[in-house]
Amino acid sequence: MTTDELERDLRLLAEPRAGDERVRDLTRARLGELTRVKPRRRRTPAIGWVAASAAGIAAVLIAVVGLGGSTGASPADAAIIRHASRAIALPANMVVHVKEIGIQNGKRVAVEWWQQTDAPHSLRMIKSYGATEVEAANNGTTAFQYDPGTNTVVETPAASEPALVDPIAGVRRQLASGDADVLGTTTIHGVRLYRIELPTGVVGYFDTADYRPMYLDNPQANGTVVRTSVVAYQELPTTSDTTKLLSIVAQHPGARVETRPAPTK
Amino acid sequence: MEVKLVAAPAVRAREVDPDAALVAAALKEPRRFLALYDRYFDRVLGYVRVRLRDDATCEDVTSTVFVTVLAQLGRFRGDGSFAGWLFQVARNAVRDVHRRPGGDPLSPQIACPEPDVAEQVLARERVAQLRAVVSLLEPEQQHLLALRYGAGLGYGEIGAIAGAAPGTVRVRMHRILEELRGRYPNDD
Repeated sequence: MTTDELERDLRLLAEPRAGDERVRDLTRARLGELTRVKPRRRRTPAIGWVAASAAGIAAVLIAVVGLGGSTGASPADAAIIRHASRAIALPANMVVHVKEIGIQNGKRVAVEWWQQTDAPHSLRMIKSYGATEVEAANNGTTAFQYDPGTNTVVETPAASEPALVDPIAGVRRQLASGDADVLGTTTIHGVRLYRIELPTGVVGYFDTADYRPMYLDNPQANGTVVRTSVVAYQELPTTSDTTKLLSIVAQHPGARVETRPAPTK
Repeated sequence: MEVKLVAAPAVRAREVDPDAALVAAALKEPRRFLALYDRYFDRVLGYVRVRLRDDATCEDVTSTVFVTVLAQLGRFRGDGSFAGWLFQVARNAVRDVHRRPGGDPLSPQIACPEPDVAEQVLARERVAQLRAVVSLLEPEQQHLLALRYGAGLGYGEIGAIAGAAPGTVRVRMHRILEELRGRYPNDD
């Protein structure tokens, strides 16, 4: 590869995307608000749905600053929060399975995630945005990506062991922070749910029967709220069958496997 | 020839800061900050995109950078250029992402959920490989690379930010590219 080609590729990494104008406008509007009206209560910058789901609502939730002290939950509310926190506590030696779906920019976005709760935290995830789907896995030593067009699994040496960051990790952490507030109960699609506001402004809806998360409302910079549905949350025992859920090769037994080298250190 | 490579005095960068008037205006009237935002939005987003993989995270970080800079504008002393300060905030924001549990959330192999221009031109694995190779560089090298190819700054502008002469920046950039090329897997 020539230097010119390398420079060209480096510039392509930063090439504008189709949604840049939306981001520009949203941020500009937020800055406009901040320079015009002092907010009553400081909120975090808007969280993109994909960021909040794909890598985990986790990564985003823990990155933003707190919103002030706890209002001091009543004993009953504290018990609800404690139950909800326990309901999504990760036991050892399991495979956690989470699936979330939502709508972003008019397109359906879905993330499905399987990950070991113990080292090496092997994971497989399927992420779709509209018609585009990416399926990838990492077992700590090898990274895999599946190309459905050619029915090929591309494997490369993994740079590092994946972190344990399932899409609910941030919710788990925020519930345990002591700053979550129970807003009350509501019914969605016939299911009675607790509404719990997390310190970052995200509102989680937890089933009153088993305290599992069902929906997450994520406020956006433009004042809208993007709702993510948690359509699956399971803790599966580690067995030969559930271990296969972590493997792209096991999921696509007829696929051609292509091994590629890792970037040299 | 060697004389031209001597680092420029920091005071010179302050004197020629092209943003000084806009910064002063924004300090008096906060809404004028939007002019600085308009000037730098694309550059900051480009910078972040070279440093981070996930598109949505890049957008969030870019937004956060400007909100942070607006909130802290009163602390800007003008000891260096506004651009230097702005990209230092961006650099810190990128570092914060890397420090999160899970870091930059998607590994190179599971990035690129949304079709974009880069993917139309490059094969997905080539983008992933390049990102992986860039991530192996030292943070300082990634910072300079992102200023050049993400923010699209010239050697003189980077020099003003880094406190070095343009020629010095050019030499460092050349070495970074050589290192990058050495780490890049062969296509064949």
